[in-house]
Amino acid sequence: MSLAAPLTSVRPDFLTRVTPAARLAAGMTWLIAAIVTLDPIVPIRLVIAAAVALVLWSGLPLRTVPARLAPLGFAIVSLTVFSILLSGANADRSLAAVAAFGPVRITAPAISAGLAIGLRVIVIGLTTLLVFGPSDPTRMADSLVQQWHIPDRFAYGTLGALRVAPFMADDWTLISASRRLRGIQARGVAGRIRDAGDRLVVMLVAAIRRAERLALAMDARGFDSGIKRSHFRELRVGWRDWMTVAVAAAVAVAAVALPR
Amino acid sequence: MTEPVEVGSTPASSDVPPSIEAVGLGWRYAGRPAPALIDLNFRLEPGRVLLVLGPSGSGKSTLARALAGLVPHTLAGEWQGSLRVGDLDIATTPARFLGERVGLVFQDPDCQLVMSRVDDEVAFGLENRGRPRAEMRAAVPETLRRVGLAGFEPRSTATLSGGEKQRLAIADVLVSRPSLLVFDEPTANLDPPGMYETLERIADLARLRRHTVVLIEHRLEAALPLADDVLLLDDTGRQLAFSPAGSVGREDAALLEASGAWVPRSWLGADLPATAEPGPGRAAAGDRLLLRAADVTVDYPADLSGTRRALDNVSLEARSGERIAIVGPNGAGKSTLLFVLAGLRRPTSGSVGLRAIAPESEPAEALRDPSKLRSEEIAGRVGLVFQDPELGFVARTSRAEVAATDRAIRSRRRVNDQAPPDPDGVLARFGLGHLAAIDPFRLSQGEQRRLSLAALVLWPPAILLLDEPTFGLDRRGTESVMGLLDELKATGQVQLLATHDPRLLPSCDRVVAMDCGHVIFDGSPDEFLAAPPYSPPDPWRAGVAAVAARPPAPVGASR
Repeated sequence: MSLAAPLTSVRPDFLTRVTPAARLAAGMTWLIAAIVTLDPIVPIRLVIAAAVALVLWSGLPLRTVPARLAPLGFAIVSLTVFSILLSGANADRSLAAVAAFGPVRITAPAISAGLAIGLRVIVIGLTTLLVFGPSDPTRMADSLVQQWHIPDRFAYGTLGALRVAPFMADDWTLISASRRLRGIQARGVAGRIRDAGDRLVVMLVAAIRRAERLALAMDARGFDSGIKRSHFRELRVGWRDWMTVAVAAAVAVAAVALPR
Repeated sequence: MTEPVEVGSTPASSDVPPSIEAVGLGWRYAGRPAPALIDLNFRLEPGRVLLVLGPSGSGKSTLARALAGLVPHTLAGEWQGSLRVGDLDIATTPARFLGERVGLVFQDPDCQLVMSRVDDEVAFGLENRGRPRAEMRAAVPETLRRVGLAGFEPRSTATLSGGEKQRLAIADVLVSRPSLLVFDEPTANLDPPGMYETLERIADLARLRRHTVVLIEHRLEAALPLADDVLLLDDTGRQLAFSPAGSVGREDAALLEASGAWVPRSWLGADLPATAEPGPGRAAAGDRLLLRAADVTVDYPADLSGTRRALDNVSLEARSGERIAIVGPNGAGKSTLLFVLAGLRRPTSGSVGLRAIAPESEPAEALRDPSKLRSEEIAGRVGLVFQDPELGFVARTSRAEVAATDRAIRSRRRVNDQAPPDPDGVLARFGLGHLAAIDPFRLSQGEQRRLSLAALVLWPPAILLLDEPTFGLDRRGTESVMGLLDELKATGQVQLLATHDPRLLPSCDRVVAMDCGHVIFDGSPDEFLAAPPYSPPDPWRAGVAAVAARPPAPVGASR
C-alpha cells in the first residue's frame, strides 16, 4: 500500500499539475520498455531517468522515498539472487565461472540476467511512485473516469476499497494476538502456514463485512443511482499532460534503441 | 414548486419537513427465517423528532434503512404494508429520488467516509446527483461550517478524530439538503468527547425544526430531551407503542424493559433505588500482586509521520480480584497499554510482569515477562477480549471454540492428570448450550461476546483485558456479560476494561484515566465521577444517571 499511498506533504511541482491519467500513460511507456528487453542496460537507463524525474519534478520529499520502496526491497534482492543462482547459463561449461562455491558456478550471463530482473523491479517501483505519488487516489479515480471513461462503479468502488484496506492490517494484528494469547499459536513451518491460512479467512470475512457497510453508505448517498455524475474537481488537460507523455515515450524509445 | 428545476433534481424536493406514515409495515431480509420488522403502524407529524427505542434485534436499523430506501431498493427481502415519507411511497419510489429527501447517518464513521479529502467527501453526494460544479463550490464550505468543520476542506479524512469524522458524515448528508434526517446510533463508536460534539450537532439540527428527525440512540439521557415522540419496538421487531415522549405508559415501558432494552428510569416509576447498590464487583480486592507495569514507555517506530510516543512512563499495579476501568479519549494510549500488558508489544523502556493465580497458601511464582512466555504458557495468565469478538475466533463451532485452548495445551504439555474438559457444560453456563454446533461467525453480537468469554473459562487467565466489553450490547446483553465477569472476578481474576461507557464505572474497583500516553488519574470510581479530569467533564457525567437506573446484575446472572 505504501507505494501508492498519497503523501500529505507533497509540494506543488510539475508532475503534481499533470493529470493522473497522463502520468499513468507516461508511466506505461516505461514499463513496456522495461519488459520488452532482457538485458540490464535498458532498466539502468530507466532507473536513471526515473530518479531524475523524482528529484526534479515529482514534488515528493526525497527522504520518504526509501521507506516507500522498502516493501519492494525483499522482492528485488530475492529475485536478483535466485535469478543468478538458477540461471541456465551456469550449467554451460563452455562459459568461464566468475565465482564458484563447491558445485555452484556463477557465470557472467547469469549475473547479467539476474541484474536485469532486479533492476526491472526497481523501475516498476520508481515508476509507480511517479504515477501515484504526486496526487491522492481520488484524483486518479476522477482522472480515469473523466479522461478514459472508466465506469464510476469501478473507479469509486476501488477508492472505497482503498479506504477499507488499512483496517485489514489492524485486523491481522488482533487475529494473530488472539491466537497467541489463547495458547494455539502454531509452531513449525507447516503449522505456521496452516495457521496463516486460518487467519486470512477471518481477516477476509471482517473486510467483506466492512466493505458491505461502506457500499450501503455509498448507496444511501445516491451512488450509481442512474443519474450522470458530475465532478467537484475540474481536470484541465493541458500542454503539461501532452509534454509528459511525449517526453516519457521519447525516453522509453531512447532507452531501448540507443546503442548498448 | 417555485424552485428552479435543475438537472438531476426532482420536482418533489422541497425544504418542508415531511411526515412519516407506516401502515402495516413489515420486512424480512432474504435468507433470514424471522422478519426484522412486523406490522408497524404510526404517523409522525412533519418537523418532529422521533426517538426509536428497542433491544438488539428489534429492527431499529432496518427502519432507518427503510426510510432511506435501502430497504427494499438495495437490500433484498420481502416487504409488507406501506411506508410514506411526505408524499413519497418508499416501496415504489426509485432510490435516487429518496436520496435528495432523506439523509442517513450510520454508526461507524470509518464505514461511511468514501473519499480521502474532506471537501471531496462532502461533494460526493452532490456529484452522485449530477449537481453543477458552481453549486458544489458554494455548498461544500457552507455545509462544513454548519457542522463546525470550517477550514477542514484540504484535510485528509484519515487524520480526523472520531467526533470530527461523524460530524463530517452529518455534513455529507446535509449538503444534499434533505428534509428528513435519520441517525442510526451515531455516537456508538465514539469516545466521550466525540459523542458530546456529535450529539451537540444533532441537538442543533433538532432545535432548528427545519427537518423531520428520526434518532436511534442508546445514550438515553442525552437523546430523550430532544425527542418529541418515541417508537418502542420489542426484540422480535414488533411495535410496542408510539406516543409523545412525555407520556409513555408504565406498562409499555415495562414491556420494553422486559424485551432487554435500556429504558429511562422515569418511565418505570420512582420506586426504584436512586443509586446503584454496591455490586459484587466492589467486593474487597485480594492482596496478592498479579500484575506490575513499571515505568513503561512505548514509542512507535519512525514512519512517514515520524516517531510517536504512545505511552510515557506509565506504572500500574493490580491485585487479585481487582476490576479496573481504563478510560480516556481515543489516542490516549489505552490500546497500547493493553497490548503491552498482554506481552504483544515490547515496551521501548520499562518492564511488565505478571503471574498466575495460586491459592493464598502457596508461594507465589515470580512475576514473568509476558512477551517472553510461550503461547501455551501465556494462556491461563493473560487473556484479551476484543471489541469485535469475531477477530478472536479460531474454530468452526462454538463447542470447538470453547475447547480450543484446552486442546492445544493438552497436546503440547501432555497434561492428562486433570478431569476431562466439558465444553458443553461451559456453553450451558453462558447461555449458549443450544448453539454448541453453530459457527461462531453466525451468532449475534451479544452471543459472540459471551462465547469469547466462555472460550477463556477452561484455562481462565489471571489477567483479563477487555476492550469495550459492552460495546453494541443492549441492557440484557450488558447485564449478562457483566454477570459473567463477576463470576470470573470472584475467582481472583484481575480485570482491566478499556471503555468509553460510563455505565460500567460503578462496578469497577478503580478507574485509571489516561490522556496523551500519561496516567492522569488513578482512584475510585466515585472520585472519578465526582470530578472527571477531562474537559469538558459533561460527557462522562452524562451517563451516570443511566448507571443509577439499573441495579447491578446479580451474581451468576447468565441468561
